[in-house]
Amino acid sequence: MIGLIDANNFYVSCERIFQPALEGRPVGVMSNNDGCVIARSAELKALDIPMGTPAFKLEGLRQRGEIHLLSSNYELYGDMSGRLTQLLRDACPEVAPYSIDEMFVYLEGFTSRQCEALGRHLRQRIRRHLGLPVCIGLAPTHTLAKLANHLAKQDPLYQGVCLLNGQDHTTQALLKRTPVGSVWGVGHRLAERLAIGGVNTAWDLRESNEKQLRKRFSVVLARTALELRGVPCLAMNALDKPRERIMTSRSFGQPTGVFAEVHNALRRHAQRSAEKLREQRSLARAVMVFLNTNRHRHDQLQYNPNALIPLPSPSDDTRVILDAVRQGLEQIHRPRYQFMKAGVMLLDLVDAEQYQMSLLHQPARDRHPLLMATIDQINQRLGQGTISFGMTNAPAAWQLRCAHRSDRYTTRWDELMKVGTHPGAIHGCTSRP
Amino acid sequence: MPGQSAHFPPDLPLTSQPLPYLTFLGRAGFSGFPSPAQDYEPCTLDLNTRLVKNPTATFYVTATGDSMEGWGIFEGDLLIVDRSIEPRLGHILIAMLEGEALIKRYALYRGTPHLCSGHPDYPPLPLEGSDCQLWGVVRAVVHEYVR
Repeated sequence: MIGLIDANNFYVSCERIFQPALEGRPVGVMSNNDGCVIARSAELKALDIPMGTPAFKLEGLRQRGEIHLLSSNYELYGDMSGRLTQLLRDACPEVAPYSIDEMFVYLEGFTSRQCEALGRHLRQRIRRHLGLPVCIGLAPTHTLAKLANHLAKQDPLYQGVCLLNGQDHTTQALLKRTPVGSVWGVGHRLAERLAIGGVNTAWDLRESNEKQLRKRFSVVLARTALELRGVPCLAMNALDKPRERIMTSRSFGQPTGVFAEVHNALRRHAQRSAEKLREQRSLARAVMVFLNTNRHRHDQLQYNPNALIPLPSPSDDTRVILDAVRQGLEQIHRPRYQFMKAGVMLLDLVDAEQYQMSLLHQPARDRHPLLMATIDQINQRLGQGTISFGMTNAPAAWQLRCAHRSDRYTTRWDELMKVGTHPGAIHGCTSRP
Repeated sequence: MPGQSAHFPPDLPLTSQPLPYLTFLGRAGFSGFPSPAQDYEPCTLDLNTRLVKNPTATFYVTATGDSMEGWGIFEGDLLIVDRSIEPRLGHILIAMLEGEALIKRYALYRGTPHLCSGHPDYPPLPLEGSDCQLWGVVRAVVHEYVR
């Protein structure tokens, strides 16, 4: 069985742990420099405020106290994400982070019933120990686990944990009412092409002839159909979600604790990630760097840190991303550990064209699209890594506008959560009742 | 305050000289004898191993207010909160009462569970009929005399 643990409205939930007054209120988290809404609580969604709404349009609502808008607090989100991964590592045989707020766990040798019980236990534990609400989807394949997770989120009857064994009536009913475009790895365009052939739902795809799919579409789609039948055949990496995050990671040939070696690997990942970003014409708002030690080596010290670095403005510039990666590595690297794996994740992506449209009235920024395009072309023609970056300049001190950022409760000593010993103590109310 | 009432014998010499600093373990000068400690990796005590039993569920918070002074929690103290501990009577908790986080002692008062203070001016708050949720159990308090 494969489990997918997905935090509900992750950024907002992180904020609510330390600001309980935000519970039940409409809350939005804004992009760097307080540009637009990038995360919404259920209450904000209910007000029909879409993702990407510019913050200035909501200023009135905010000032009237009808909604809460917070600047993004990536240090807090990164730390809570790391805690979530660690909690799962302590409880499950194998864990693979898929994005900042989604983790796969692999539960081999457990019965369905045991898996569901473990799922419920994990969900409760994450809520208690971390304060994060999550939903868990369990199924024999990645693709079905994603659908199970979706169902767990939508239907309160499941109480946050949904298991699909791939063969039962629940699976069939779910697949029949799931449009094929909602299946993992099937984009809008592919869904349109499938519809012409009469494949409208996930169930239609599952029942399609595998050879035909392979011939007329792609191997990946044929495998997706198999996955819907409960036959695991897609690795996690094949299930990329390029519109939301880009991840590049790899194990070292030889475990290493040397800064320069780790840095070199990360630089390669950063360059590759930036290329992928430009290929799909997106910009990233934040960069996450993560390192893993070998968890099978019980004789070695374990350390699985991550660092989340917000970018001054959404960017696809390799140099900007390289600078962020170095900053992140400097924060988390400790020489006494032997690292087995290092990775770079680009987060909170935004469509490049849309973003530039929104900036028409602003002065040109310090970007060099031509330089990046030229490098990509040369690398495409002459092979990966023909041209790469040497050391880039140290980043200027980034002054992010973050007028409404909450404190970094878990990473800064001078920004801890303040808790009163009696009602009103926080607000300077020292007069005794 | 505990300890304040105990007075020192008057003839106890108070150190006017600064205490000598502990020297680092290493080669003992150039006297010819290598220090017997040179191969000894000093294994310094780490407060984390004592106070942080479950790092993923441990959070630090700062206390504000005077109503827990009786239990040794003063304004500005650092609390080590372990959310993995099952709350029991007698524990000091971070509780969310009507949407506000509070530091209180979870105890019986006249036979029913209350959130109690460590100060006579603050009466116990009954749990029954109130909207109260647990945030975490306070494992330890760090009161720094010198900052």
